[in-house]
Amino acid sequence: MKVLGVAYEPRDAGELLRAASSLNAEFHILAAGRAAENAEEVSKYASKAYILKTKSPYSIFKAVESLVKQEGYKLVIGEGYRNLRDALSRVAGSLNMPMATDAYSLEVSGESVVVVRGFLSERARMKVEVPLPAIVLFTQRFTEPAEPLGHGSIVELKPEEGPERVVEVKPKAVGEVNLEEAEIIVGVGRGFRSKEDLKLAFELAELLGGQVGCTRPIAADLKWLSEDRWIGISGKRVSPKLYIAVGISGSPQHMSGVQNARIIVAVNKDKSAPIFKQADYGVVADLYQFLPVLIRKLREKLGR
Amino acid sequence: MDVIAVLVKASLNPDVIRVEPDGSIDVKSIPLKISDIDRNAVEEAVRLKQKLGWKLIAVSVATWGPISARMKDLKLAVQEALAKGVDEAIVVADDSITPGDQLTTAHAIKTALEREGVRPKLILAGEATIDEVSSQVPGRLAALLGYNYISFARRLEVEGGKVIAERDLEDYVEVVEAPLPAVVSVTQEINDPRPPTLLQIRRAARKPVKTVTSSELGGLEKPRRRILEVRGIQVKRKQVILEGDSLEEIAEKLIEALVKEGVLRL
Ligand SMILES: Cc1cc2nc3c(=O)[nH]c(=O)nc-3n(C[C@H](O)[C@H](O)[C@H](O)COP(=O)(O)OP(=O)(O)OC[C@H]3O[C@@H](n4cnc5c(N)ncnc54)[C@H](O)[C@@H]3O)c2cc1C
Ligand SMILES: Nc1ncnc2c1ncn2[C@@H]1O[C@H](COP(=O)(O)O)[C@@H](O)[C@H]1O
Repeated sequence: MKVLGVAYEPRDAGELLRAASSLNAEFHILAAGRAAENAEEVSKYASKAYILKTKSPYSIFKAVESLVKQEGYKLVIGEGYRNLRDALSRVAGSLNMPMATDAYSLEVSGESVVVVRGFLSERARMKVEVPLPAIVLFTQRFTEPAEPLGHGSIVELKPEEGPERVVEVKPKAVGEVNLEEAEIIVGVGRGFRSKEDLKLAFELAELLGGQVGCTRPIAADLKWLSEDRWIGISGKRVSPKLYIAVGISGSPQHMSGVQNARIIVAVNKDKSAPIFKQADYGVVADLYQFLPVLIRKLREKLGR
Repeated sequence: MDVIAVLVKASLNPDVIRVEPDGSIDVKSIPLKISDIDRNAVEEAVRLKQKLGWKLIAVSVATWGPISARMKDLKLAVQEALAKGVDEAIVVADDSITPGDQLTTAHAIKTALEREGVRPKLILAGEATIDEVSSQVPGRLAALLGYNYISFARRLEVEGGKVIAERDLEDYVEVVEAPLPAVVSVTQEINDPRPPTLLQIRRAARKPVKTVTSSELGGLEKPRRRILEVRGIQVKRKQVILEGDSLEEIAEKLIEALVKEGVLRL
């Protein structure tokens, strides 16, 4: 069987190789996005690496479509970046292939593939079986990268231009924090009334030696914090020792991102907020009254 | 008249799932509701309809059966779209395509539009549903129809036969233009959908809703996905509500608890 891995970030190559290595298959890589910027590195993880220097979902769609048609790949795998969801959903539509997203694991059995994937906004796992040929997109960083194999051949492909025209590209601020490494995170939600007021959360986080994270509306909609602080199904998945959720309602899309926290504390003024059912310790209070008291008490005890 | 179509799904509601003692979940026990981001898609479609003077139709495919038990929830999801300003709706409901997969759904939408003789200039969808979260159906549909596809739009305009959109990606935002016809998926940030008013809801009851089955559409692609198992992720949290006569007392109790748990060192 021939398997094609579509890498978008350089480290995807090793992760996709690990997923493919249990399948007893011939594994090739198509590197697009930032993965295409380092052909030598990517080519260490497959016997053949196609290099497609573009981020355009149309161009990725067309390249994968023609590779599947010409080379007969039975399985296409990748990770769930937005541009890959876009490109590969179009391949799935055009070639009438089943596609599973948010996959955690994959097995091939005969002419079909069995996938365990996130379901119900990550409140559940669904085990499904689909016939080959198929497309599977894993959740990002679903496994550790495999060891490099040596050097595969490199084939550069020319991106096919699409009908759309990119008028402007605006990079986002990155690299401010690394929530994945944080041991303590204070999460802020829409219970805060202004950006200015977030200083209460920063003060608490600093006192505890932690970081500030947030819900999607705080980063994506209100833009009070940069997106690297956004926790949840479409943001970061974190695993601190302690997560203190302040002014957060507890939507499944947010809470799935803190599933692995050891202890969760919730501060919310609404005693029926769903977060209290998903927390170890709950404080029913107005955050504007409670946080200053908590901060003062901690300062006294810490002598700071 | 030019037409905009908006795709609306009655999704399983992840807020109300019941996990059996053995960890399994019976999806038949979960009620359906309109998928959150489809509300944003409807809001945006209504805005564009008013600006452009086009007709607006909603298309919804029943994914979860049995249809007889789901009809009320299916209708409610569509009614909300109609109340918000959608002119008419097509609902594809047939037990032969439940539980559906994204391949079936995209085919069913295409077939229903063709059977109705509608060729929308613009099709709006949500970026992802709350049950599947797959971001698949709009891209599949675009490929099936041969339309352009703009995904994850957080801003959208239609001008001179083109869509101009701001695509929101992980580490950058790009402004793109593409000629119509196009499928566009929108993000949650594109607008702030308001619930329909009572008056809007009452008026919506008179708007046409056409429910069609597979045989009425001349047959549909069957789902290829077999669901082997659905298991809940158990949240085993202590759920202790800290109480006291004053906030000071509660703060003391919290600090004490965290020290005892070993997650706070003083
Ligand atoms: C496909 C999809 C993907 C999504 N991905 C994500 C994601 O990755 N991450 C994410 O976070 N969300 C995500 N969402 C959005 C999610 O559904 C919720 O809308 C969001 O998490 C709500 O954020 P919030 O808790 O800050 O706001 P709200 O739900 O508005 O909650 C605010 C809370 O603050 C409380 N409050 C108000 N004032 C005070 C006060 N003075 N003191 C104390 N408490 C107060 C209120 O009681 C309320 O419970 C996604 C949604 C969808 C459909
Ligand atoms: N069964 C359906 N009926 C109508 N529209 C749907 C259906 N499923 C998905 N969609 C549309 O496609 C979008 C993305 O869905 P998904 O691919 O399931 O994440 C949704 O937000 C809807 O706009």
